[in-house]
Amino acid sequence: MRNLILKFVSSARAAGLRIATSEVMDCLDQIKHVDVLDEPQFAAVLRANFAKSKREQNQFNHLYRLYFHELREDAEMGFSDSIADHAETLLEALRQNPNPGPELPALLDFVTGDPLAYLDLLRRIQSDGDNHQQGLGANLGSMVRRLPIMLAIDRSRKVVDLFLLEHRDQMPWETRRDLKKHFNQRLDVARRLLTTAQLPEDTGPRKIASYEKRLARLGEQSFNSLTPKEVDEMRAVIQQLVRKLKDTVGRRYAKRPRGLLDVKKTLRRSMQYQGIPMQIVFRKRPPRKGRIVVLCDVSGSVWSSARFMLNMLYSLQACFTRVRSFVFIAGIDEVTHFFETFEVNQAIDKVLREADLAYGASTDYGLTLREFKRRYLDALNKKTTLIIIGDGRTNYTNPEVEILDEMRERSRRIIWLNPETEQFWYSGDSEMRTYEACCHEVRACRNLNQLLNFIQDLVL
Amino acid sequence: MNFESVADVAQRLEKAEYICSKEIATVVFLAAATGKPILVEGPAGVGKTELAKAVARSLQRKIIRLQCYEGLDEAKALYEWEYAKQLLYTQIVKAKIDDVLSGTRTLSEAVERIASQEDAFFSERFIQPRPLLQAISADKPVVLLIDEVDKSDPEFEAFLLEILSDFQISIPELGTKKAVHRPFVVLTSNNFRDMSDALKRRCIHLYIDYPERSLEKRIVELKIPAIGERLTEQLVTSVRQIRDLDLKKKPSISETLDWAQSLLALQVEDLSPDVVADTLNVILKYRSDVETVRDNLSTIVNHA
Repeated sequence: MRNLILKFVSSARAAGLRIATSEVMDCLDQIKHVDVLDEPQFAAVLRANFAKSKREQNQFNHLYRLYFHELREDAEMGFSDSIADHAETLLEALRQNPNPGPELPALLDFVTGDPLAYLDLLRRIQSDGDNHQQGLGANLGSMVRRLPIMLAIDRSRKVVDLFLLEHRDQMPWETRRDLKKHFNQRLDVARRLLTTAQLPEDTGPRKIASYEKRLARLGEQSFNSLTPKEVDEMRAVIQQLVRKLKDTVGRRYAKRPRGLLDVKKTLRRSMQYQGIPMQIVFRKRPPRKGRIVVLCDVSGSVWSSARFMLNMLYSLQACFTRVRSFVFIAGIDEVTHFFETFEVNQAIDKVLREADLAYGASTDYGLTLREFKRRYLDALNKKTTLIIIGDGRTNYTNPEVEILDEMRERSRRIIWLNPETEQFWYSGDSEMRTYEACCHEVRACRNLNQLLNFIQDLVL
Repeated sequence: MNFESVADVAQRLEKAEYICSKEIATVVFLAAATGKPILVEGPAGVGKTELAKAVARSLQRKIIRLQCYEGLDEAKALYEWEYAKQLLYTQIVKAKIDDVLSGTRTLSEAVERIASQEDAFFSERFIQPRPLLQAISADKPVVLLIDEVDKSDPEFEAFLLEILSDFQISIPELGTKKAVHRPFVVLTSNNFRDMSDALKRRCIHLYIDYPERSLEKRIVELKIPAIGERLTEQLVTSVRQIRDLDLKKKPSISETLDWAQSLLALQVEDLSPDVVADTLNVILKYRSDVETVRDNLSTIVNHA
């Protein structure tokens, strides 16, 4: 029994499940208390000890079925005595393959009853599918990687047939029959494992586990070169990041310094205790929450950065007193209400389609600022941080920098995020140099890492 | 009074009005046999808290419940030192102190006298025990339910580790206190956040999902015996259909039971589309969910 479980554990570890030694010990300890012949009980003990979250549960169930049902032939591993000698020679013949890939040894180990290497191989096929950056036809990847194994299986089958044919005279037909049966059975199982192996897609939540890896990959990628799939991934990554940030902010609130001693209150409280200051009261001042006003250029290239920016800001809404957002191309419209009524991602889609804007027009910063001044200037006060996301390309219209200056006077600070690479900032119709003078901070914001740095500075 | 076998667990839990699958029974039995805590996870309303209560009922133990929330700290979970009481006592016994000190000639002698009495000021008398300390120092074994542990802060989780592995608590004023009896510990979590590996490692993990069809039927029959068999069948089938839809909050067992209760109150004999549409508010907690189900009403009831 102990050996069986230990073998299962090593297979499960090979398949990527994390199992600690103490968990194995607990399991072996507990298995004594139950009736191991009753499968639900046996499975329950293993599951309770080895799969300690919902995510791992699916993987565990898959492995469990695989190991205790599909691979059951392992129970009588190795070969029965009658065919053992011949089996060795046959294996030798199989090893003689002219071009052994990395697959062949693993496959042969599997046939002789040691599935670890083969399982590891299968797992690598799956995880490779996650890691590789591929261009067109990317979904062929894992299929292509499976192909050599399939070929190896077929080749081995042929070798077995050929071998039996050649050695027809040297062994009785029962032995040949048993040999053929044994090998074909094992190869069938190997093939079934390969073709029914879980696709990486349907282990959805597993992706979150490796989100740091994906962050490393997506972090430096420019926003406007993302594929739709990557946009989805990006959202998942952002969600994780936001949760982490919220945790940090929450800790900051819990751990903030206690403030100055409040003498008046302390004295008053001490009256209860005959004038002894038993309770010391501090003058607590909660950390200041910012008010945010966002101005987003929603024309083409800029939008791809702006959407993630909005996504993060609104996911972190709890960290600010209020977030108001405006979008502009030529003219401006407030879109805060979309975010109040809909879920963040839905709202972002709606902004693109339903805001009251002339979407076809070319960007006009001057007009935008004039309109902002006329309609929404009251949105700014000394507590507001104004964030402008735009490339500052005015199409040679009046930049109206005086208005921005006026806005600076009214707000706490102005931060300009530019989704263009810095080299291009001051070229052509870009008015970055003019606007720069009015801003407290100008940052490039073209990939997730830059955006993340910015948000962190903003929140913390 | 402990459980004898897995079957015994299932039987006694059923007597305590809790119907469980074999997996749940196995885990409960193991926890009782090895003295390890159980970490129960699963969607809201599948009976995680109820499991702990049922275990307490079937073992005839007292249940001590600690509800976790953000900002829960040691003072609320473990114990609080009652300074006010201590001070009051000091004031009252002031006269006594003079008695104790009478006859001493030197200062060091007086200090010596006081020192021999100082236990009186740092004793358990001035400790206000909170759930965790209560569970550890109870003179009869208890069931300790730490509810929604995922809502607590990471620091509190780390603090739980000492209790869960050694069943002991350190109180700075008094020293370490070991458990008189090992409590049967149940932690529940709603997957609000992942628990740390260290915590998971110390627990037997149990994931309770929505129950199987037959199990759910038995639960409804047990909890609401007045409901007819036909209606139960229809009820369970439609709830399962509804769970298959893409909803924000899927109805779980507690909602099924609420629904059965309200159908009973409305004296409904047969589940028709109209009845379902009228009573949806009982099982669904979001407006958008109600609308989704309403759109799919025909398929749900036809299958029922």
